[in-house]
Amino acid sequence: MVIVRRVKPLPYWIIPIIALLAGIAISVIILYVLMGASPAAVLSAIVYGFTRPGVVAKTFVALTIVGIALLVSFKGSIWNIGGEGQITFGLMAATWVALFTALPYINPGLAQVSMILLAMVAGGIWALLAALPRAYLGLDEVPVTLIMNYIAYYIVDILVRGPWLGKHVYNYIRTDTIPAQVMFPQVPGTTMTWDGLFLLIILFVGVWYLLRNTSIGLRIRILGNNPNLLRSSGISVPLMIIVALTISGFIAGSVGALYLGGDVYRISYPVEAHTANYGYTGILVAWLSMLELIAVPIAAYIVSALYTAGIQYQILVGGHLGQLLTAGSAIVDVFIGSILLMYTILITISEYKIKIIVKR
Amino acid sequence: MFESIASFIVGVSAIFLAYYLAAVGHGLMEKSGVLNLAIDGVFTLGVAIAFAVSVYTFSVPLATFIAMIVAALFGLMLAFITTKLPISHGAAGLSTMFLGYGLAALVGLPARQLQINGRSLATIQPSLGGTWIWFYVVAFVVAIGIWYLVEKTKIGAAIRAAGENPASAEALGVNVLAVRLFASGVGYALIGIGAAVFELAYTQVWSQGAGMGYGWIAFAISLSAGRHPILILISAMIFAALDKYRFLIAATYNLPPDVGKMLPFVAAIAAMIIFMVTPLKRKLAPPKSLGKIYFREERTV
Repeated sequence: MVIVRRVKPLPYWIIPIIALLAGIAISVIILYVLMGASPAAVLSAIVYGFTRPGVVAKTFVALTIVGIALLVSFKGSIWNIGGEGQITFGLMAATWVALFTALPYINPGLAQVSMILLAMVAGGIWALLAALPRAYLGLDEVPVTLIMNYIAYYIVDILVRGPWLGKHVYNYIRTDTIPAQVMFPQVPGTTMTWDGLFLLIILFVGVWYLLRNTSIGLRIRILGNNPNLLRSSGISVPLMIIVALTISGFIAGSVGALYLGGDVYRISYPVEAHTANYGYTGILVAWLSMLELIAVPIAAYIVSALYTAGIQYQILVGGHLGQLLTAGSAIVDVFIGSILLMYTILITISEYKIKIIVKR
Repeated sequence: MFESIASFIVGVSAIFLAYYLAAVGHGLMEKSGVLNLAIDGVFTLGVAIAFAVSVYTFSVPLATFIAMIVAALFGLMLAFITTKLPISHGAAGLSTMFLGYGLAALVGLPARQLQINGRSLATIQPSLGGTWIWFYVVAFVVAIGIWYLVEKTKIGAAIRAAGENPASAEALGVNVLAVRLFASGVGYALIGIGAAVFELAYTQVWSQGAGMGYGWIAFAISLSAGRHPILILISAMIFAALDKYRFLIAATYNLPPDVGKMLPFVAAIAAMIIFMVTPLKRKLAPPKSLGKIYFREERTV
């Protein structure tokens, strides 16, 4: 096998598409071998996912926002795998506003805005805690952000089982349902909320402006390509690492508020079994977008269609295993894993040609 | 007093061995320069495979063996793609991690269904009578074996050379690909056995997501001991004791049980930070080319 650099790289959108098709093919084979799932049923679930924009909308909004969040840190070569923990912290902050302040009864609109803003602050703080050892000790951010996801789950678990345990929950361990005033209003005919849609637009434009027109955005991009250049121009590299990761967590945190206000309306114990796994799925979105902001919504639509397909398959055809599968994660994980792996491997061929030479 | 020490040693033996094997396997692989971020996914998959095979065949050795083989195959795959192709070790590892999570659920659930319908799970219990000693014997034999392999043999020198500077190693006649395949294959085989021990000797129950997160703790155990096979014995013991007694610790201080769930993860981050701020980091520095893309483009053209 000989690998030669291409004279001209392939156009950047080709690889994600090939990876997607190859990954879906592998997933179909895996599901067939391990679960006996008929490929036709899996493919029809995928078609279902891709042809129901209204159903997919909720996941699409969440994954686009997570994709944008991760993009900011990935641009700086800071691999924020802690989106899940940042979202969980956002969920916690939004729940606090909705259940334990008087705001929802005084001014519902302001309450909804505060839920989102406080969720962002909480996500930002959680990311900041991971950024500090990365910036000043050089501790790899991947294991730290990942392990912090578990810590975030358990902190919320402690709250839900302890001081936040609801009064009207029968025998369930969960918080009370949030007041109707702060349930985010839905866009008719879709599963998404107006709050989510506006937030998405604001964040998309904001990050576009940040990366393109501000010195912080420029520095984050240089951090990703050539941190030595930053160092030699007198800009603190640790500070830029902290900024990139904190902004990333700040944006990701908002998804926690959307998940509470537009989807689940309460936190159920244990939170790790009731998460939508947007923090992990968002990694796929950010990678498939090739770190191009404009491609994030496209990647998010594809991934959210697959995500919906995985859950749909589980509901309709999962059969006797359906009741055992929790939170729809297993099939989604197979999709994410195989597509990402194909993508990681195939990215080679955008810049290199692989020739198989048979030795005589 | 004596009784409580004895019950401690017996009580932590299984989780100690599970953590030790996973951490030492991870360390061996990283010594050869392949960054291993797939550990949690493959560990979770190993747990599910050990559980499923044990339910189907009611054989602990067979379950351990198959978990080992599957894990080793993942190790070979990771070493191959990261050495042969110019791709990011981190991306390859994380994607494999997700694949491992998904496969684990699909492998484990049918067996769990059988178990609910009455099939039983073959397990191995470290008891005071005698089996517990073997858990320690295996750990110490592996520790000395891996230490000897890495520090005293030609293969070990090649593994360290491939981790420090693969290009020079290649120039001196080391086959970097072969060395990395060997280190990752053996390393992941140990991770697979560790996962089987975790399931069959320690937790002995399975539900979707079982084992998730423990691979990361093994990662932290290995990192905080500088990937040194003998030192990992100590850090694995600390984490084993913490894992075994975390709910007792929480209950003693009148804390909610979820604090117990959280303790190993907090300790994992603390251990990594301690390693980074103390002189340990200089004495047991990671391989210089760990996670760096090694790609022989120029030579093949």
